[in-house]
Amino acid sequence: MIIQVGNNLDLKTVKFQDKAALLLFALIFSPIVFLLVKSFYQDTESLKYLFKNLLFDYSINTIYLVIITSFFSLILGIIPAWYVSNHQFPGRRLIDLILYLPLSIPTYIMAFNYSELLSYTGPFKITYDFLQIEILGILLAFSLYPYIYSVSRISFSLFGSKYYDLAKNLGLSGYQTLIKVVLPLSKPAIFSGLFLVIMEVLNEYGAVKYFGVNTYTIGIFRSWNSMNDSGAAIQLSSILLFIVAFLFFLEKYFNQNKRFSFSKNSKLVSLIRPDNFTKFLIYLICLIPIVLAFVIPVLFNLINIFSSFDDINFERLLNLTFNSFTISLISSVLILVVSTFFLYNEKISNSKIYYYINQFISLGYSIPGAVIALAVVLSVTGLDNLNDSIKLLGSFSVYFLILIYAYIIRFMAVGKSPIKSSLEKHPESYDNSAKNLGLSNFKIFQKIYFPINKHAFFTALILVFIDLMKELPITLILRPFNYDTLATQTYEFAIEEMIPLSSIYSSVIILICCILLVFLKIFLDKSDVFRN
Amino acid sequence: MKNFFLLFFSIYILTSCEENNSNEINIYSKRHYQVDIKQYENFEKITGIKVNVIKAGDDELLERLKNEGQNSPADLFVTVDAGKLQKGVEMGLFQKIQNEIIDSNVSDDLKDRNGYWIPITYRARLLVYSNERVKKSELSTYEDLANDKWKGRLLVRSSSNAYNQALMSSLYANLGEEEVRDWSAKVVNNFARDPKGNDRDQVKAIAAGQGDVAIVNSYYIGLLLSSQKQSEVDAGNSVSVYFPNQGENGRGTHINISGFALTKNAPNKENAIKLLEYLTGEEAQNTYVNNSYEYPANPKVKPSEIVQSWGDFKRDKLDLNALGTFREKAIKVFDNTGWK
Repeated sequence: MIIQVGNNLDLKTVKFQDKAALLLFALIFSPIVFLLVKSFYQDTESLKYLFKNLLFDYSINTIYLVIITSFFSLILGIIPAWYVSNHQFPGRRLIDLILYLPLSIPTYIMAFNYSELLSYTGPFKITYDFLQIEILGILLAFSLYPYIYSVSRISFSLFGSKYYDLAKNLGLSGYQTLIKVVLPLSKPAIFSGLFLVIMEVLNEYGAVKYFGVNTYTIGIFRSWNSMNDSGAAIQLSSILLFIVAFLFFLEKYFNQNKRFSFSKNSKLVSLIRPDNFTKFLIYLICLIPIVLAFVIPVLFNLINIFSSFDDINFERLLNLTFNSFTISLISSVLILVVSTFFLYNEKISNSKIYYYINQFISLGYSIPGAVIALAVVLSVTGLDNLNDSIKLLGSFSVYFLILIYAYIIRFMAVGKSPIKSSLEKHPESYDNSAKNLGLSNFKIFQKIYFPINKHAFFTALILVFIDLMKELPITLILRPFNYDTLATQTYEFAIEEMIPLSSIYSSVIILICCILLVFLKIFLDKSDVFRN
Repeated sequence: MKNFFLLFFSIYILTSCEENNSNEINIYSKRHYQVDIKQYENFEKITGIKVNVIKAGDDELLERLKNEGQNSPADLFVTVDAGKLQKGVEMGLFQKIQNEIIDSNVSDDLKDRNGYWIPITYRARLLVYSNERVKKSELSTYEDLANDKWKGRLLVRSSSNAYNQALMSSLYANLGEEEVRDWSAKVVNNFARDPKGNDRDQVKAIAAGQGDVAIVNSYYIGLLLSSQKQSEVDAGNSVSVYFPNQGENGRGTHINISGFALTKNAPNKENAIKLLEYLTGEEAQNTYVNNSYEYPANPKVKPSEIVQSWGDFKRDKLDLNALGTFREKAIKVFDNTGWK
C-alpha cells in the first residue's frame, strides 16, 4: 500500500502517491457523499413531520444519554487508569488486565443481561420503572469505559518523570497532579477515546430500543421502518453527520494549540507505594467496574449456557466462530493498512491533503451501521456490472467483498485513533534525522515508525477486530447467502426473547475478544509501553 | 506474515465461491427461527433443491431488493408482517402467485386479496391478565382497555415495535381516525409504566405486580411457558390468556401472518413455487406448529398443545393489507397521543 518514494523526495512520484491516496479516499468516502447528495433530493414531508413532533424530544434524550454515558465512562476509565499507572499494589497487573475486558461484551448483551438480572425472574428482582435513561447510560458506560481506560493508561504511562517532578516541586498532591497536570496534557488522547464512546452511543440501537428510550437513531429507524420513508432516514443521518462533524471540528479548533509532542522520553518515575487505606481505596475503585461490567454479565452468561447446554449445536458454533474470526481478521488488517497509509502520509508529507483526508475519514463512524449499509446498497448493488462480477466471482465473494468495504467505511475511526495518538507523541526530529540519513519514506516507516509505534498498530488491530466481532447491522444487511456470524446468531436468539440460547454465541465473542485483549496486554507490557 | 495473509485470503475467497447451481432457491428472510432451518433441510431432502437464506430486517431487505433490481439473486421474500409484504407490493418488487395447490392449502381469510403473497403461519396479539387481580369477566375488547377502570394497570411495549404498529393499524382501519386517537390517548393514560422491554417482560411485570393486564403476542406466551427457567414458567402460569373482541358481534382478535412473496425477477421461480407448495402442505405445517408457537395457515393442521389449551378464537377478518396501508397513520396516532 505504501509506495516507495526513492531516496530524494521526487515531486512526480509524490504526486502519484497523493493521487492514489485521493482515489482511495474517494472510494471509501463516496457512499457517504452519495448519502449526503441523495438527502437533498428527497421529499421533505416526513422530515417536517419529525421535526415538528418528535425530534426535539429525541434530541434531548440523545444528548442526555450521551452525557450520562460519557460521565460514567470517564469516571470508570480515568480514575482506575490513574491508580494503575502510578501506584504499586498486589494484583496490579491482573486488575489492569481485567479492566480492559468489558470491551469484549457487546452493548446490547450488557443491556439484555442486566435487564434479565434485574427483572422479576432474575435473582435480584428489582422492579425499577424510573431512571430508564440513567440506568441505560450506566450500562452503556460499562461496555464503553475501556475506550477511555485504554487511552488514559497509554497517555498516563507515556509521561516521563519530568511532569511529575515538576508537579511535586510545585507542591501538588496526587489528585492535584492528576487534575492540573496530567488530565490537561492527556486531553487529546482522552478526547479520542471519548469520541469513540459518543459515536457508539449515537449509534446504539438494540439497547435503546429495548429500554424504550427514544434517541435520534430511533428516529432514523422510525422514519425508515415505520413510516416507510428511507429518504427521511437518509436526511436524518446526514443531519447527524453534520452535527458530529461540527463538534469534531470545534474540538479541533479549540485544541489546536494544545497539541504537542513529547520532547524526549524522560526517565520513568517509580511507582508510588500506597498506605493501607489508599490500597483499600484503590481496590474498591478498580473492583467496581470489574465486578459490575465484567464478572456479573459473564457469570450470567455462563449460568445460561449450563441451563441450555443440551440445545447447543457445536458444529454450527464452530462454523460461525470461523466466519466471525475470518471476516474480522481480514477486515481489521485492511482497515489498519489503510489508516496507517493516510496517517503516516500526513506525518511525512508536506501536502495538506492528508490532513483533510484524516479529518473526514473518521466521520463514517458517526453514521449508524444500518445507514452505512443502506448507503452501500444504494451505491453498489444497482450497478449493472455487479452482475458480471457475480458471474465471474460468484455472488458469495462479491457480497463478501461488499461487506468488507462497508466495514472499512464504518470502522476507520477505530483503527485511526490509537495510531494517531501514538504518532502525535513522536517528535518531528525523528523523520528529519532519518531523512538526513537518506532513508526513503517506506524505509523510515519500516525502520523507525513501525517499531516504535508497533504497540499502537497492534492496539488498533485488536480494537477494530473486537468491534467487528460484535458488529451487527451492516453484517445483517450486506451478508452473502447462508452466511451467519456469532453476532448475528446472538442477535437472532436475543431478539426472539431466547436469551439463554444466545448466551453460548455471545460467550464465544466475549472469550475470543478477551483472549486477544490479554494477548495485547502482554504484548504491550513486553514492549514497555506501560511502566511495570 | 504478509505472504501468509495473502495466501489465506486467496484460499478463503476461492473456497467460498459457490458453484452456479440452478437447483436452488434464494430467500431474503426476516424470519430467523430454528424451525425454518429444519423446513428448508427437509425440503432439500425431498426435492434436492438447496435453499439459500439471507436474514435481516424486512425494510433493509426490501431496500436491498429494490436496489438490486434485475440483478437480484432473490427468489422469495419472507417476513412476519402482512404490512411489510404490502409495502413490497407497493414498491413493485413482487409478482403474483397463481397455484392451485397453494390456494387450496391455506385458509381463505388469511390470503392476500390481490394474490401477491402467501401466508404460512399466523399469530394473535392478545391480552394476558393476572390470575390474582383480574377476573376474566372484567375483560372484553381492545376498545375497553381505554376504560378508566384500567388506570395504572396496563402494560405494553413501545410504539417502535412492529407488532404494536400492526395492532394500531388494524384499530385505525376498524375504528377510524377520531375514535382510534381517543382510544390511544386513554390507553396511554392507563399505562402502569412507560413502555419498555419485550413481550415477555410485560408478562413478568404482571407476575411482579407492576400491572394487571398486558397486550402481547401469543407466540411469546408459548415460549415463556416452555422456558427451561422455572421462574419464567411460573411467571407464565401467573397469567391467563384472553382473546379480545370475541362477543357475538365482535370483529375478532387482531392477527398477523408470516408470509412469502415471489420477487419480480425471481431466477428460480419454479423451485420457489415448489417450496411454497411444500411449506403450506400438511407435513411442513405440522413441523411449524410442533417447533414454534405459531398458528398454522393450513386449516387442516392443529396448533401445538400449549396453543390449543387457550381454546379456539374468532379472527379479525380485516384485509391484512390494511396493516400496511394504515401503518403511517397509525404511527402518527402513537406520536400524537404520547405512546412512547
